Amino acid sequence: MSKKPQPIIKDGYEFGFHKPEGTGFRTPRGLNRQIVEAISHYKNEPDWMRQFRLQALMMFEQKQMPTWGADLSGIDFDNIYYYISPSQKKFRDWKDVPSDIKDTYDKIGIPEAEKKFLAGVGAQYDSEVVYHNLKKQWEDKGVIFVDTDTALQKYPEIFRQYFGTVIPISDNKFAALNSAVWSGGSFVYVPAGVHVEIPLQAYFRINAANMGQFERTLIIAEEGSYVHYVEGCTAPIYTTDSLHSAVVEIIVKKGARVRYTTIQNWSNNVYNLVTKRMLVEEEGFGEWIDGNLGSKITMKYPSVILNGKGAKGEVLSLAFAGKGQHQDAGGKAIHLAPYTTSTITSKSVSVHGGRSSYRGMVKIINGAKGSKSFVRCDALLLDELSRSDTYPTNIVNEEDVTLGHEASVSKVGEEQLFYLMSRGLSEAQATSMIVNGFIEPIVKELPLEYAVELNRLISLSMEGSVG
Amino acid sequence: MHEVIIKKNEERIIPVLWTGEETELSYSFILSDRGASIKFIALLLGKENQSLTLKVKVVHSAPETKSNVVIKSALSDMAKVDIDGLVKIDPGAKGTQAWLAAHLLLLSEKAKGRAVPSLEILENDIKAGHATTVGRINDMEMFYLMSRGLSSDVARKLIVQGFLQSMIAEFPKHLAEKAEKKLSF
Repeated sequence: MSKKPQPIIKDGYEFGFHKPEGTGFRTPRGLNRQIVEAISHYKNEPDWMRQFRLQALMMFEQKQMPTWGADLSGIDFDNIYYYISPSQKKFRDWKDVPSDIKDTYDKIGIPEAEKKFLAGVGAQYDSEVVYHNLKKQWEDKGVIFVDTDTALQKYPEIFRQYFGTVIPISDNKFAALNSAVWSGGSFVYVPAGVHVEIPLQAYFRINAANMGQFERTLIIAEEGSYVHYVEGCTAPIYTTDSLHSAVVEIIVKKGARVRYTTIQNWSNNVYNLVTKRMLVEEEGFGEWIDGNLGSKITMKYPSVILNGKGAKGEVLSLAFAGKGQHQDAGGKAIHLAPYTTSTITSKSVSVHGGRSSYRGMVKIINGAKGSKSFVRCDALLLDELSRSDTYPTNIVNEEDVTLGHEASVSKVGEEQLFYLMSRGLSEAQATSMIVNGFIEPIVKELPLEYAVELNRLISLSMEGSVG
Repeated sequence: MHEVIIKKNEERIIPVLWTGEETELSYSFILSDRGASIKFIALLLGKENQSLTLKVKVVHSAPETKSNVVIKSALSDMAKVDIDGLVKIDPGAKGTQAWLAAHLLLLSEKAKGRAVPSLEILENDIKAGHATTVGRINDMEMFYLMSRGLSSDVARKLIVQGFLQSMIAEFPKHLAEKAEKKLSF
């Protein structure tokens, strides 16, 4: 067994195919008042949204870059296109989608997935959602699933009521940036009591070199409703750095349940800086399942704000850091009401000099009686070059609580390897099996096709060393 | 700020008892050579409006070093503690073992705690972990003791003593006596 295991993450980017950029409206590089106004004008937005964007731009200029977390000094804000539209047209039917775009999605397998069990697909290509299809059965129940720009035009009242309420523009520099230049994303509205049994799904891709994507997602689940939203990202390779800075706001009303699943696999030059937050009311249940595999730097801490009695929140976070990558991920739970419960589970794998950091916070305010929180984070370090950090913050201002936090960091156990190898597996096969076992608690929560893709990604990279 | 450099095969035990006098305590331990080991045990007993910021930093810069940091705190009235722990394992510190734990027992509605036990690990051949718990006296335990005829005050005291006993047992005599005296409130 002299052979070294093969890299877990391949050097080449498997889904790194690149399509020619479409034509359409595009702002010049850089960001200023004129550009923000041009975006708003081009989208024919109401005046309040234009004001909102301009205010956000001011906030963005005032706010400092975060002084903690990953190294963001490589971002050149003046060298980014803040808005590109690939095509002026929107498509209702799959057969109307241009063939090169279709080809891109074929490679990730959207059509089959849709045929099988997806309710609707909102496919984001460049900055605009070009394809939207919502199955009739949900439309009949009053479920709205459109891209965010359409929602602003078609459902202005409900849009304005909730937009920017969970993540205000002043929240952080990147939320402000998104608020100023946002484009695309999904808008989901589920009426009271409606259960959307099949996950709603959207695919995101970046396809213009040096282009930032600033999608904005807003999900509103009325009382007693249920929805599962799935977002998956795979991006083509390009040569210069790119910025992805999304904002996701979710409102979970009384007794409702929302599950938001992300599998993010940006190519290795993307800065992925995302603000995600859920406001959970009485007896509601909000869940984040967040898998971070790609990108150069990810900073993402999905949050649950437990704002009503008995609200529940759960964050499952998976980070895979390979060569040159820093995954700074985690979760936050803010307990503002009595008898609220939260669970945060984080699993991270670092390899080839990759760095993964868990950064999390649990805060329980005075008066949130009977609240419970449990945080578990495990890290696996696969070689000597890699790094793993844990930065958990626990703040408790209430006596009547139960809070637990546990973390462990280790390498692949030699006894485990020895056992598997004594049964005839190669070192690479055995390592792959152990890694897959380690992340299993999160993978099992993923929709089937994602779980398959993820396991395949890890196993594929081990193949070379077999025999 | 107390900075201690621990040398080859040296084993140090640092016990700390806080009963409200200081507002800030800061310790830094550097395990500089093979076989160095540190055990840091801190008992924090706060009442009234006493408050403490405790910073503990452990750096493993050599192979086969060991650290064990355990902080236990019982807080009554409006007492407050803020614990910042950091264990750093440098590249090459193979065979290192590190454990960092903070346990807070809140005895009053106004008591507060903040705990940030961080790890920064740059070497894979290690074992490291940390744990935090925050909670109040378990109702079931109280019920059990009171059903045996103890008053709620006595039952409470016994539970607090039980929580802290494992630490007191490892303290040198004079500190252990001081801690026990403080506990007989």
